[in-house]
Amino acid sequence: MRTKIAIAAGLLLAAGAGAAMAQSTQGAPALAKGVCSACHGPEGQSVSPVFPRLAGQQQAYIVLQLDAFRAHLRADPLAQAYMWGMASQLSDATINDLATYYSSQKPSPGTAGAPALMAEGQKIYNEGIPAKKIAACASCHGPNAEGAAAFPRLGGQHVEYLIAQLEGFKSGTRANAPIMIGEVRGMTPEQLRAVATYAASK
Amino acid sequence: MRLAKLSTFIAGFAMASGVLLLAPGSAQAVPSFARQTGMACEACHTVFPELTPFGRRFKLNAYTIDNLPQVSGIASNKEQTLLLNQLPPLSFMFQMSYTSTKSAVPDTQAGTGSVPPDALAKNGQVLFPQQASLFYAGRIAPNLGAFVQMTYDGTSATFGWDNTDIRYASLASDKFLWGVSFNNNPTVQDPWNSTPAWQTPFDQRSATAPVPGAATALDGGLADAGVAGVSVYGWWNDSIYGEFGVYHSAPAASQALDSTNLDVVDGWSPYWRVAFEKQWDRNSWEVGAYGVTAKLFPGGGNALSGPTNKFEDWALDSQYQYIGDQHLFSVTATYIDEKQHWDAAFPAGATANPSDTLKTFRLGGQYYYQRKYGAALGYFSTTGGEDSVLYASGTPLNGFANNKPDSNGWVSELDWVPYQNTKIALQYTMYSKFNGASSNYDGANRNASDNNTLYLLGWLNF
Repeated sequence: MRTKIAIAAGLLLAAGAGAAMAQSTQGAPALAKGVCSACHGPEGQSVSPVFPRLAGQQQAYIVLQLDAFRAHLRADPLAQAYMWGMASQLSDATINDLATYYSSQKPSPGTAGAPALMAEGQKIYNEGIPAKKIAACASCHGPNAEGAAAFPRLGGQHVEYLIAQLEGFKSGTRANAPIMIGEVRGMTPEQLRAVATYAASK
Repeated sequence: MRLAKLSTFIAGFAMASGVLLLAPGSAQAVPSFARQTGMACEACHTVFPELTPFGRRFKLNAYTIDNLPQVSGIASNKEQTLLLNQLPPLSFMFQMSYTSTKSAVPDTQAGTGSVPPDALAKNGQVLFPQQASLFYAGRIAPNLGAFVQMTYDGTSATFGWDNTDIRYASLASDKFLWGVSFNNNPTVQDPWNSTPAWQTPFDQRSATAPVPGAATALDGGLADAGVAGVSVYGWWNDSIYGEFGVYHSAPAASQALDSTNLDVVDGWSPYWRVAFEKQWDRNSWEVGAYGVTAKLFPGGGNALSGPTNKFEDWALDSQYQYIGDQHLFSVTATYIDEKQHWDAAFPAGATANPSDTLKTFRLGGQYYYQRKYGAALGYFSTTGGEDSVLYASGTPLNGFANNKPDSNGWVSELDWVPYQNTKIALQYTMYSKFNGASSNYDGANRNASDNNTLYLLGWLNF
């Protein structure tokens, strides 16, 4: 009986290995569905605010970030814990394909936050804070927070994720965005929250 | 825990080519997964061994997610025929512990030779190591991975086969993952920390302290008898999980499955599991059910034929997790209900009743600050019907009062995790009731609280 089990188990393992081989070399969509989706969700719609939504993100921005993870140029704590490993074996071509895959997914619609926060955020987003020489976010990220090339889409993103990034620019843990480091320097935590809430709502 | 001799394991492994042997021990986490994925421990664990939602996904994916340079091979039709980590995914674990009970336990040789009948063992046992394990944990082939643990057990001074889970997994569609697991303990393959093999915080315990005498088949009974199983599972939309498997006897150090073995499974024992998980923000909540039905020949000098003892277990479980940047919080609960039909034991006079029941409930909560400083509190309870033969009195330390198996109490714990792979835990277990009573449960004047246990554990994974 035991031998029979052994043979049956061996056959099952062999069948499994055969099925695995049939999958051949993984393309970017397979990689996104099989690996990236574990955190970033199916079709790039993550549930946890620890992980950014990638659906509809700018292609060039995703390429820049994956490059930065691979080269250890983006070093905020979660980038180190998750993405340094994840990106380490990606080729330039795969990075490009992954970015194309996610940028072509439909972005999440944003949801509005508390009215007072939204009003303050809208003002900063569209007009900046001239007294502190902080530029309007809209000038790079677009009037609808859709982003443009290297400037990421912010609309539909998790508010908490955006706040964590702004705080990372401020504290220096996320140092791969020289423009943003200058912009957030003079902003208070309340202003960061307001502008993140507004941008994410778009 | 029963452990096999190393030579037997090697022979058995060669013979069975991937079928698994023997009984598992306590819970682990493995740095080779971190090496393979390039991800820090915190990606998969809140604090090891408890899994995060991503850790569960990694396990269900057959431990195959990798980010290491690979040795690969493809056939002329571009099918991948080999995909191996350049370095084997090996890890080492070392546990050292100090265990002290409120009152010393009786000397195991009391009353024999020149040892007086009331002799006590020395209290305060140091185990160095309590367990030392070598793991192969990681990908084997494109969709095939393993979590295999070989353990040196300090209490039995033997090497043996411990927790094992070898699995194949594949994505059938964007939202549906299915797989097959070969494992040696019902629930060791489970991704949640609310089932017996990995329940937070109850899976972290002393190897030498006295433990209550009654446990259900699901709660280690079947694993201790030595089983190997195969199960097929499906995971849909990151929310619905279903699994069905069967377990067969695979006892350690046994040449033939014959009457020298104890508790031999008659044929195949079915195991089932369903669960639903919801994730929102940084929270996840799971609710599920699982069960096993096992018909066991008593063996131990009796031929493996005729009537069997039948154990019908069903169980409920639930787990809630909050994983914040600073604060991490989890609650786990399980309830196991077992019906025991003593069709073999009762006619032989080994039980007083033709059937009995046994119920176990455990509720645990754990909090960590910055994944570094933690505290846990748990309540456990086992109750069952009266059986004057099964739960007989008169054995010092291990006897039962009132012919009942009832035990309950609390476990509390403080943890310090200075590095993600190093844990120091101080635990205290308090028994309100032990083997049927609070006081003089063994008929030799030992009280339940005499078994209260102080346990200091140092746990390294590298």
